[in-house]
Amino acid sequence: MARYQITEEDFAFAREFMETPIGYHSPGLQRVLNRMRGADWTRKYVLVIEERYRLWRLAQLPVGRGAQVEIIEGVVYTDLVEAERDIFRRRWKDLTGQDLDTALPQTT
Amino acid sequence: MLPIVGYTNKLTAEPGETVDVMVSSFGAKTYSADLRQIIQGDTNPEGPGYKDHLITLDLGGTRTAISKPFKPGSCVIVPGLGALPAIQDFTLAAVVRPTLLDGRRRSIVALPGLAEIAIDGDGHLTGQAGDTALVSSVKLSTKHWHVVSLSYDARRELLSLAIARDRDEASTPPRAHIVSTKAVLAARVPSECIIAATRGADGELTAFLDGKVDRPALFDTCLEPDTIRTLLTDFALLRRQRSLLAAWDFSRRMTSRTICDISPFQMHGHIHNAPARAMTGWLWKGQELDWKLRPDLYSAIHFHATDMYDAGWDVDFTLTIPSDLKSGVYAVRLVPDGDEDSAYFCVFAVRPPRDRPSGNTVAFLFPTCSYMAYANHRLGMDVPGTEIGMGRAVELDRHHMFLQNNPGIGFSVYETHDDESGVFHTSRLRPIVDMQPKVKSFLGGFGSNIWQFNADTHILGWLDAIGQNHDVITDEDMHADGLTLLQRYNVVITGTHPEYYTRNMIEALQGFTDRGGRLMYLGGNGFYWVVSFNEDMPGIMECRRSEAGIRPWEPGHGQFYHGFTGEYGGLWRRNDHPPNHLCGVGMTSQGFDVSEPYVLSDNATDPRAAFIFDGISGPGIGNFGLAGGGAAGLEVDRADPAQGTPDHALVLAFSVRHTDIYLMTPEDLLDPTPDWSGTQADIIRADLTFFETEGGGAVFSTGSIAWAGAMAWNNYDNEVARMTHNVLRRFNEETPFDFPGGQGW
Repeated sequence: MARYQITEEDFAFAREFMETPIGYHSPGLQRVLNRMRGADWTRKYVLVIEERYRLWRLAQLPVGRGAQVEIIEGVVYTDLVEAERDIFRRRWKDLTGQDLDTALPQTT
Repeated sequence: MLPIVGYTNKLTAEPGETVDVMVSSFGAKTYSADLRQIIQGDTNPEGPGYKDHLITLDLGGTRTAISKPFKPGSCVIVPGLGALPAIQDFTLAAVVRPTLLDGRRRSIVALPGLAEIAIDGDGHLTGQAGDTALVSSVKLSTKHWHVVSLSYDARRELLSLAIARDRDEASTPPRAHIVSTKAVLAARVPSECIIAATRGADGELTAFLDGKVDRPALFDTCLEPDTIRTLLTDFALLRRQRSLLAAWDFSRRMTSRTICDISPFQMHGHIHNAPARAMTGWLWKGQELDWKLRPDLYSAIHFHATDMYDAGWDVDFTLTIPSDLKSGVYAVRLVPDGDEDSAYFCVFAVRPPRDRPSGNTVAFLFPTCSYMAYANHRLGMDVPGTEIGMGRAVELDRHHMFLQNNPGIGFSVYETHDDESGVFHTSRLRPIVDMQPKVKSFLGGFGSNIWQFNADTHILGWLDAIGQNHDVITDEDMHADGLTLLQRYNVVITGTHPEYYTRNMIEALQGFTDRGGRLMYLGGNGFYWVVSFNEDMPGIMECRRSEAGIRPWEPGHGQFYHGFTGEYGGLWRRNDHPPNHLCGVGMTSQGFDVSEPYVLSDNATDPRAAFIFDGISGPGIGNFGLAGGGAAGLEVDRADPAQGTPDHALVLAFSVRHTDIYLMTPEDLLDPTPDWSGTQADIIRADLTFFETEGGGAVFSTGSIAWAGAMAWNNYDNEVARMTHNVLRRFNEETPFDFPGGQGW
């Protein structure tokens, strides 16, 4: 179990991520991402390629080797950066119970 | 998903040679096949575009696609027991340490149809003889060795099952727990003995064990457990027992498939699906770490239900390589039910003729060992941290979905077996679904995100774009033919990530540059791990990741020496062949998100390097590319005199920062502190390096996997491609390089 828990203290890093999902990140954002992307998931978000470089489906990958990849119906992406933002929002909700888009504007 | 998959019986063939093609349907009803030369496999719209050439060759039209299963699981099979007299009284015994107890029934040793010692779904020891079954109250433990036996005394009509657990931490001697029952068994002649599996009613192998077995034996008398223990500890005493029918000493002929019976009957067997040999046995207590010095302590085999060597599919068809086909990378393309978008590519190299040079002076070294090491790897599925290393979500391509649904295809040396022990072996005698053009990967960086074979097609595509005649030779060719093959060339060009090398290979390539050859190392993390082939099992490769290196597992205490050759496993850096000797740089860090440009150093103006910079100006180069958006990235190497970089080597350019996903390699991070990351430590960089050799040769190293992705940018029209061409042009001239002998570093 990861020690680090995401809280409202991390809003600044959420903003940073939404600005630049891929590339250089502050140590604080990297810590948030390590929490989100680490091993503490029984079902991990992955992108199933529908058409290479054009279309991806959101799915969850169970821990068990050989277990079925579970497609999340109706969630498709045409841009990998947008996919990263959406997965970040979903994990924020999973870990904090908060809707990130709702919560972010209320703080500065 | 993949409706059809296949493989060839070899990854290299010369003109006139035959290649067998094995195909299985995973949904396809029919398929047709053609032969194609693979030029450029990246389908990224930002890239130069997919390109292959159809070769005019009739491969037989439409065929029925037949479903053929994967049958993983290793064991020992000893046929020919029918020569023994009928057995009435008997004792079947072995020493066993299971490594996975997960509810599945596991067989330890079986005389199918006659007797078996097994582990039931609850972990209890079970014994079966005829219709009589016994279940011990004792459960086996994955932490201990157990002496187990099944004995029958006809006079007393008594069948007994015994188990004694060795508890190293206990101060009391092992004590056998025995369960017995009345039974009347007819005298029978066994047909075969199977160790670590048995046969099902359909005759197929089943109930594979995950675990170690040591010194299984069969006697024609009923022995007490204490007697069994005494005999099993001493092979010299054991073999003189008149009651002995067979005893298999796994420490004999460990580098082969053969299993030796030390009894006078000499009922030898063989391994099936390549379990790990040269493994610490029942009596190993740390006395010796090298099995060659005390083979008697390495008398165990570690079996896995997931081991896979040869898929063994029936041959669908055989093609003969046309005698006039030029050397290159080719694929038998299998098109299922007319659906070209779902085509499967069985990739292999057509090497130049063995008996005569082609006349080409440039060779692309097709890194089949590294392709095999990564064959069917599951890093994005099995290792949660892969997403952290990628800096973005894992993408699953069709072949990944196929791997997820078909784990029986067998693993790469990046995986662990179900018992979490490392996968030592990888084989090319099975489909390698990630060794295809077009496929995406996990580690290729933001952009094309391609890896190993498909990433190497950026180099093949560049050779095509500049019209450079060349041969393609494979790692296996270089391993077998050494310098007799390499000496045909002025220039050898590597792939993007030639990470795995046998001793033959690294010594041949070193001999090549020492004697005037020119090496263009267009990759990163090259020449890193020691691997071995097996002289008795073509197509399989071993890797034991000892001591250091970025690695997904350790081989286990006392198991650092390869079973195939006895070589010390691990990094070439620890085996007197650091990559720095060969190419001037060595692995320093990795990250799979974004890449960086190089910044020219003062050495870039050195007259020795003037030919490299013809038409190129700094201060930066390679601020673009298909592999993370820069020429320096993914896995990067640094020049380091302490690791063997020649003193006169010129570091012409280097990357000056990377993201904090890039961390230090374990072999250099002796005392972990939080400052060894890409934004903080200048040791984390790619060094573009050039040096001459005393024999008139020269080496150009990019120290970056991402380099080729930059070459392919803008349809190969850019400064990185131009610099690479500058190097190739001069390297391909006969004029020897002057050896400066100075202190250029």
